Amino acid sequence: MPDWKQIVRKHLCLLAVFSPEFMEEVATHLEDNYEALRGEGLPAEVAFQHTIRQIEDRRRAWLVVRFLQEEFVTGVIREIALPGLLTSAAARFLYWAFALDHVRPNVSWLVGGQFLMSPLWWWCLLPIWGTLGALLSRRNGGSRTQRIAASLLPSAIMGAFILLIFVVGFTLSGLVNQYWWVSGRLESLGLVPPEFLLIPAAFSVLGAGIAEVSTKKFGRLA
Amino acid sequence: MASVNTQIKRGSAELAVLTLLAEHPLHGYEIAKQIEVQTGGVLSFDMASLYPMLHRFERRSWLKAEWQTLANGRRRRCYRLTAAGRKQLAPLRAEWRAFFQALQSVTGFQNA
Repeated sequence: MPDWKQIVRKHLCLLAVFSPEFMEEVATHLEDNYEALRGEGLPAEVAFQHTIRQIEDRRRAWLVVRFLQEEFVTGVIREIALPGLLTSAAARFLYWAFALDHVRPNVSWLVGGQFLMSPLWWWCLLPIWGTLGALLSRRNGGSRTQRIAASLLPSAIMGAFILLIFVVGFTLSGLVNQYWWVSGRLESLGLVPPEFLLIPAAFSVLGAGIAEVSTKKFGRLA
Repeated sequence: MASVNTQIKRGSAELAVLTLLAEHPLHGYEIAKQIEVQTGGVLSFDMASLYPMLHRFERRSWLKAEWQTLANGRRRRCYRLTAAGRKQLAPLRAEWRAFFQALQSVTGFQNA
């Protein structure tokens, strides 16, 4: 009997990364198919060739496309965008509320006039929003990948917003010939995204992890 | 028998799968095989159509899936229709019945 798990892992390595469970299910399907063909009296080699054809060439590509489509496109509004946008809005509101109350982020000055902003209090609250985003996504039927995507959406939006500001800033300053402004922004470009993109993303994913563990341990919370 | 249009196949897939699972829990291969046999090969699922759909139903809580270990030690993921899935099936059946009746009245086709 061929090792179908091994064969599927080799042919569909992308799926193995996203969903080991799906990969195992595909392997059991092929195993059943192979056994049925053998039961019909087909020689082992013919049954193997007939079975493996299901995960080769166009069929393999189509299986991967359909899986990814199901994971990322189907229900993207309910399972990713809506939970992500709601928690993003909540996280932004909280940030501005603190700022209005004069709770400013710590600013660390680095060599060459660069600086690093550290809104520690905001970062520490991000896992809560990450957890809520993941739980809302789960409530709407989101898969694990979609739950993680939902928890990451606030950081992704923030990152996109910052990058947009930079692009617009570069364009405008180029138009009015303010090269000093451009160079200043270029210097800080390497530093600004981490505190508003990568670090919050890490805290948000931590929240998604908390949601996963808590739902496994305490049942369906959402 | 002439092949049925792909769109109709896709549309009817939900009904076929949910109806089968309303009778008893099955794993993926059994679902595909039973549909193929019962429809004389007119409806058939490849893995790319079947499993993403089953997973979508599961996420919508229409199905509950659990891994079962067989006597020979092999694992199978078995799907069972939930109360929410049963609730979903009733209007779906009504829709398709209305559709076929409407088609029948236009084309004059009768059930065999």
